[in-house]
This record gives sequence, C-alpha cells and structure tokens, in this order.
Amino acid sequence: MSVLRTTARAPIARTALAVLAVVAVLALTGGLLAPLDPLAQDTARILQGPSGAHLLGTDYLGRDVLSRLLAGTGLSVLTAAEAVAAAMLLGVVPGLASVRFGAALSWISLRAVDALMTLPFTLFAIAAVGVLGNGLHQAMLALGVLLAPLFFRVTRAAALGLDRAQYVEAAELMGASRSWILRVHIWRKVLPTVAVTTAHALATSLLAVSSLTFLGIGVQPPAPTWGGMLAGDLGFLAQQPWAPALPAALIMLTVGALNLLADAVRDAEPADAVRGAGPADTAVRKEHRDGLAAV
Amino acid sequence: MASPPSDHPAPADRPVLTVDGLHVTVGHGRTEAVRDVSFTVRRGEALGLVGESGSGKTLTCRSVLGLPAPGVRVSAGRIDLGSTDLTALTGRQWQQVRGSRLGAVFQDPGSYLNPALTVGRQLGEPLRLRLGISRAEARRRAVDLFAAVGLRDPGAVHDRYPHELSGGMLQRVLIAVAVSGDPELLVADEATTALDTVVQAEVLDLLDRLRTERGLALLLVTHDLAVVAEVCDRIVVLYAGQVVEDGPTAEVVTAPAHPYTEALLRVAATGDRRRGLAVIPGRPPEPGTTGPGCRFADRCGYATDACTAGPVPLTPAGDGRLVRCLRAAELALHGAADRDADRAADRPADRPLDRTEVPA
Amino acid sequence: MSAVLAPGRPLRAGPLARRAARAPRTAGRILAGTATVFLLSSLLTFALGAVSDANPAAAALGETATPADIARLDHEFGLDRPLPAQYGSWLVHALGGDLGRSWFTTVPVADSISAALPVDLSIAGLALVLAVALGGAAGTAAALGHGGRVDRAVTAVCTVLGTLPAFVIAIGLITLVAVQLRLLPSGGYVPFGRNPAQWLRFAFLPALALSLDAAAGIARQLRSSLVGALRENYATGAVMRGLSRRRVLLGHVLRNAAGPAVTVLGMSVPMLIGGAVVTERIFNLPGIAQLSLRAAEQHDVPVIQGTLLVTVAVVLIANLAVDAGLYALNPAARRGRPARAGQEADR
Repeated sequence: MSVLRTTARAPIARTALAVLAVVAVLALTGGLLAPLDPLAQDTARILQGPSGAHLLGTDYLGRDVLSRLLAGTGLSVLTAAEAVAAAMLLGVVPGLASVRFGAALSWISLRAVDALMTLPFTLFAIAAVGVLGNGLHQAMLALGVLLAPLFFRVTRAAALGLDRAQYVEAAELMGASRSWILRVHIWRKVLPTVAVTTAHALATSLLAVSSLTFLGIGVQPPAPTWGGMLAGDLGFLAQQPWAPALPAALIMLTVGALNLLADAVRDAEPADAVRGAGPADTAVRKEHRDGLAAV
Repeated sequence: MASPPSDHPAPADRPVLTVDGLHVTVGHGRTEAVRDVSFTVRRGEALGLVGESGSGKTLTCRSVLGLPAPGVRVSAGRIDLGSTDLTALTGRQWQQVRGSRLGAVFQDPGSYLNPALTVGRQLGEPLRLRLGISRAEARRRAVDLFAAVGLRDPGAVHDRYPHELSGGMLQRVLIAVAVSGDPELLVADEATTALDTVVQAEVLDLLDRLRTERGLALLLVTHDLAVVAEVCDRIVVLYAGQVVEDGPTAEVVTAPAHPYTEALLRVAATGDRRRGLAVIPGRPPEPGTTGPGCRFADRCGYATDACTAGPVPLTPAGDGRLVRCLRAAELALHGAADRDADRAADRPADRPLDRTEVPA
Repeated sequence: MSAVLAPGRPLRAGPLARRAARAPRTAGRILAGTATVFLLSSLLTFALGAVSDANPAAAALGETATPADIARLDHEFGLDRPLPAQYGSWLVHALGGDLGRSWFTTVPVADSISAALPVDLSIAGLALVLAVALGGAAGTAAALGHGGRVDRAVTAVCTVLGTLPAFVIAIGLITLVAVQLRLLPSGGYVPFGRNPAQWLRFAFLPALALSLDAAAGIARQLRSSLVGALRENYATGAVMRGLSRRRVLLGHVLRNAAGPAVTVLGMSVPMLIGGAVVTERIFNLPGIAQLSLRAAEQHDVPVIQGTLLVTVAVVLIANLAVDAGLYALNPAARRGRPARAGQEADR
C-alpha cells in the first residue's frame, strides 16, 4: 500500500497519472466533447487541413478529425480495459490458488501459461473472431486469455515468495488461518506487483487493440477508433502524410504514460519485495511486454 | 608528470610504491573517508595495511589499483609507482600499468575470473596481447606459471573453467595471473580471508616465496593482524581513515604503541578471526562524524579528556616507528611479546599466531 | 609443505550440487516441456473450432444451406464424430503434415500455408537479423558510453519505440522512405527464390518495421546486462590484467551478458510473427496472416486452426533454438553445472 503511496509522490508518476486522468476523462466523455458528429461525412470538404470549422482538418470522407479522435478514445481505451479486466480475472485468482497446487499440477499450469504466451495476440484474436463471430467482446476475451499469464505468473511468484517468508510462518505459528494469511499478508504485498503488471498489460492491450481495430477486427468501421483512423489514413499518405501522426501520438502518449507509471511503481518498491516477486518472473514480465509491443 | 608509464622501473634506492598524503572522499566528494595516509613499499618488502572494515584500507588499496567505486575520488595526495604518478593516469596509460607493473589478488578469487572461459585462456590472453606470442607459446608460459604457483597438473588446470576449481586453486590461479607480467608491485586485498586456515597458510607461503624469488613489493591489505605478522616486514594500522601506527612488524607486534593496535593483537590472539573485532567494544565511527580529537577515544580504555580536545598528530616513536597517540610514551601496552613475532624462530604448534604447520 | 592440501582435491560440493539439483534444465526436460506446450496449444486451437457454431455448409453455401446440406458436409468433414475423436484424428493428421481442407475452397490447408509461410519466414528472418544487428550495436554502444550522450540517446529512442505499435512504425517508414523519398516500393512481394535482389527491395521495409521493436528490446536488455556485468568482479579481474575497456566489454562481458538478450530475442519471435499480420496488410504481402484474415472473414475453421497451429510450431522451434543458443553460451551448463554468470542469465 505504502509503495503505491510513495509512487504517487514521484514527479514522473504524477505526470503519468495526469496524462492518464485526461485520457480517462476523454474515454468517458469524449463523444460528448466532440464539436461535430464524428460520422457526418462532407464530400465537399475531404482531406482538408486545419481550419476554423475543422480544428484538425477532415479525413478522406470529409469527417471532422478532432471529433473522431475524441469519440475514438472511448472505444480504444475501454476495449483495452475490458481485455485487461478479463485477464486479471483469469490470471490473479488461479495464480493465488496455484500456491497450493501439487508439483504435477504446478508443472502443467506453468506449461499452459507457456502455451498461452506462445500464441501471437493478433493472430489469435483473428482466429477467435473467425470462429466466434466478429465482435468486440470475442476479440477482447481472446486478448484477455492471452494476457492472463502475465497476471498468473507474477501473482504466483509473489505469493510463492511470501508463502515462504518468515513472517507468514510467524503468523501461522500464532494461529492465523491459512486463508487469513493469504488474504491479508500476501494480498497486501502482491498488490504493488499487480499494479505494475496491470499498467503493462493495459499498455500491451492498448497496442493490440490498436492493431486489431486497424485491421477492422472487434470494432467495425465507421465507428471511430485510433487504429481504424490510422487504417483510413493509410490510403492517403501522399496527400496527407501528417494525418497518421495524430492518432499515433495519442497511442504513444497513453502507452508511454502507462509504462512510466509501471516503472515508477517498480522503483518505489523495496528491493527485497521485488526479489520476493521472483526475478525470473520480473524479467519475463518485462520481456514479454517488450515483445508484445510489436503486435 | 604524465610520463609514459612503462619504462620506469623503480631504481634500487627508490621505493616501488609511495603513497604520500592520500586523501579519499566518498559520496561524490561529500565525505572524507581517508585522510592524509602515507607509506612506502620497497623492492622485496612486504607491507601490511591493517584495519577493521571502515578503516579506509580498502579505499586506499582500490585507489592504488585505480579501481574506485562509484562516487569515490582521490581528492589530494600522490600515489607513485616507481616514478609514475598513478593518480594522474588516463585509461590507456592504466592499461600499460595494470598487468605488467601492477598485479592484484582479491578475496573470493573465483569471482574475479570469467566463468565462461578456461583459466588458461584468461592467463594467456594478456600475455599474447602484450608480448605478441603465439597461442602455443602462451599456453607453454601459462602452464609454467601455473606450475610456479604450485598447482598440481598445471596442464590440466589450464583447460579448466573457474567453477571446476577449489578456492585455494583459484587463488593460486589468480596469483599466477597477477605475476604473469612480472610486476613490481603485488597488491593482495584480503586475499586469504575466505580461505580455510590450511589453504590460507599455503597461499601466504606462496606470496612470501614469490616476493623473495622475484623481488616483488607486496602490499597486503587485511583486517587480520595474524596474517600480517606472518609475512610482512612493516605494518601500517589504519583507523577511521587515518594511520594510527606504522612500524616494523616485530616491534609493533611485540610492543604496540597504539591502544588500537593492542586491541587488534588481542583479537588475533584469540585465534577466532571469523568473529572479527567483536571483542573490541564499540564500532568505528562513520566517516564525517568524527570530532577534532583522537578518533579511537570513545572505544579506548586509556582515553583522557585531552585525547578528545584537539587533533592528535602522527609522531615518531623511535626505531622508524610512528604513532598517533598522546599517551604513547607513558602507556605500557601488551603485545605478542610472549609469542615471538620473528617468523624465522621455531614455534610450538599451539601458538595462535602460528599457521604454517599443516596437520599431517 | 602442502602435502595434505593437494590442489585437485574434490570441489566444493555443497551449494553447487544443491543448485545443480534444483535447476536441471537438461535437454530432455526442455523437449518434454515444449511437447506439452505444443499439445496444450493444439488443444486450445481445436477447442476454438469446437465451441464455434460455424459449419462447412454455411461457410461454403452461406444462407442458402439446407439442414440436409449441413448434415452432408458435416459428415464429409468428420464433424459428426465425437469431439475427442475429432481432436485425435486432427492432431495425428496435423503431425503428419495434413491440416485438413478448407471448407470454402476445399484446397488442402497445408498447401495454402506452405505457399504463404515462406513470405513470413523470410521477412521475419530478415527482421531478426536486423534486430540483432541494430539492437546489439545500440546496446553495446550505450553500455560502452554508460551515462554519456550515446547512452541517453539510445535509451530515449528505445523508450519511444516501445510505445509504438509496429504498424505505426510501418506507416512512418512508408511515408518517409516510399512516399516522400521514393527509395523503396511501399508494397508488393517477389519470392526470394525468384530474384533475391528484388526480394530484398520488397522485404526490407516490412522487415525493418517489424525489427525495430525487437531491436529496442534487445538494446535495452543488452545495455542493462552489460552495465551490470561491467560491475562484476570478473570484469574488474579482466581490467586488472591490463585489458582495454573495449576488450573487456567485447571479449569477456558481452559473452556472459548476451544470455538475457538472447532470451529477449527468443520472446520476440512470436511478436515478429504476430506483428507480421499488420505489416502484411500494410505492405500487401501474400503471407500467412492474410490467409488467416481471409479465413476469419469466411469462418473457414480448418484454415484458421491450421495457421494458428503452424504459428505455434514455428514459435516453439524458435524457442528451442534460443535454448540451444543459451546452452552454447554457457560452458558451465554444458558440463552440467550452473556457472556464476549462468545464474544471472537464468533469471
């Protein structure tokens, strides 16, 4: 807990939190803030530069770019959050429970985690919508399943480390019940680790959602999304080479803020707590995220 | 000043190593942890730099090797190797000094060797670079060196990886590496501390033998006075960054002039060096927290009000000895007088200072 | 003296032996793990098809399919058998190279994949080479000038690259290199076998776009493990032997610090293949992702399952290659003992 409080005091974390707060507000109210209808086409004014009427210009169908960016924030961010929520549910609970697994079950569960980490996000999401139907929830469930190992691994590693810690043993000797120990001690210590993982998972998820919406998976055009806008701009690079920069900048800003926040939490953690979370898994978690950014 | 460092071996009359008025700061210049330390080591001479952790002996030693930890800096003074001022060397000049004029062995020798390469290759690499000799010639020389430091089956050791050798063997390997460039000075930084008693004795013997055979100047840095008494001609005792006593081993050991030296001798005599200086009450002061007077005063059984009033100078105490104690002349301190410090003399096996005997 | 303490006595057995017993990552164990992961992935892939209500009749005939059509085609594709039997025969056939036939075109899935896979493999291979070259050079340069201007620049670029999806990088590269400078084509493909020079012309931009993120990961990892390794005693030992900083870094430290970077490289293989989906679309490449996208639109389950399974196989083979690489880097592991640096690499 105090780790998170320490984090909130670091200047970098504050900047990141401020950026994320703005993005969150836009995500919830973006559609309302949009000056114009993000779907309204004006074929007389296509591919225009910034003007008084259209502050950020118009796209290839004459739609207002600013309105589409604002309205698109909600779909992009909330879908990413949905996938992370699914991943948390699928990862944290089994991760905590796995402390009590026997050797064989542990081995199998870790191989299952490996199997999920082997699957490329975009391809798996494509496959999921291919067999389950092209919908937002199908795509996000697929993403959530693949993100779940992140939560499973760090939760399990942290819980295992703490399970062997002396103060847990002491609490046990004093007659505390297993479930109380799990709930109070372990959960409290695991929380910072989960916070780091959540931030990384959100960043990863956001990148994956951008890729999917770019491909028209999950969210169908003409509904505005950051990825979808990039796909639309792709055909008109010769006329408007700067157009992709706007949605790309929003993706960068949000993902960058999430990464900085995760790093800040990790820096605020005492060294032994990080070690308690298992160096192997810390490394894997980081590398996994690094790699995923390509998806 | 920045003369080419290579071709200036010390003339016979000149000390191999001269440390003159060395000041070392830690924490990026905030705290002075070594203050005005001076000593010399001559050809064929062994000098023991003694003190507990925090005394500044490691900082001094790392300054001589040019390996300061982050934030550590030599703020004043000179360190001369022959006629080369080591404090003024550039990175490239250091390369010509290290390995060829200056060798070093450390505690935990295995960690100073690359785990991914055979020990022979690590000894051969600088030889080949420096002398431009062939792989086969480097191997021959490496095997000779391994034999010279008393490794059995040196040809086989040559092709071993560090993790395949024992601690004593690794220290021998490291010594072979250190003397491979025929250096003027060998620095041994707690080189025997982690070894068990029997191996420790062997390694000390080896260092002593190399010193006599090769005319090496030996700087032995340790917290263990017994080790120093074993091989060193002179002892410099450091406390809280200052020299508190400096003199010939035999005299210092039999009749210490500083209460701290007396305490160190008492610890050494217990024979339980693993517990370190736990028997001296209190602990050394943190750098930067010392008052104007004697830094040992609050742990000293002989301290008076005068001791803490003002700076205590390092003063001559006869026989080429120096001591930093106001009461040095009046105190009659207990040394290892009953335990003859002369290594040449015969000693019964039960003497705590004696570690040359090997159980049969 | 030294009669008793003969050098060459038994080695310190205690902690080493215990550590060795705890981490027996032998080849057999790795292979068993990989086989299990493959089985679990295949189960997941199969389950994806099993929970779907898509069927070959609907895929081929669309709305006009009658219940009779559905039953006939279900029988033809073996979908009327119990699920475990379907899984068993699908897996056995898949291991033999038969991934079934497309519901839509009835072309064997293996044929479609073997036509598309070389595109991805060749581009991912080029991307891997670029990632190692760029990431390795940047990471080493940053570590050599630790704390200096190069280091800061490398760190900044890597951080920015980490926040960008591959397709944004791809769009940026197309805008700059293809549209503005007109140096390379913005799309299209020529197989390597037909004309290597032309292949490189078309493959370079997609491979570069794919590689940058992996390169950033490698650079970051390599930099931090190099900087960490330079503080290790064995680096000090090498310095004390009079070796130059460059030689210590390249000849001694790099070898031991490369392990984690190789691991990052291995983990980026699925990402290179996953990232290929979007880059294929952008650069209009006839690869496995286009195949999969088309199959998804048509609910062509055998093709979807086939591409997924083949992708998993490619990734697992790449992981095995990485394990072999780590094994070769670490002589202690080769002799069945963990080395000091090996421990770091294992983390």
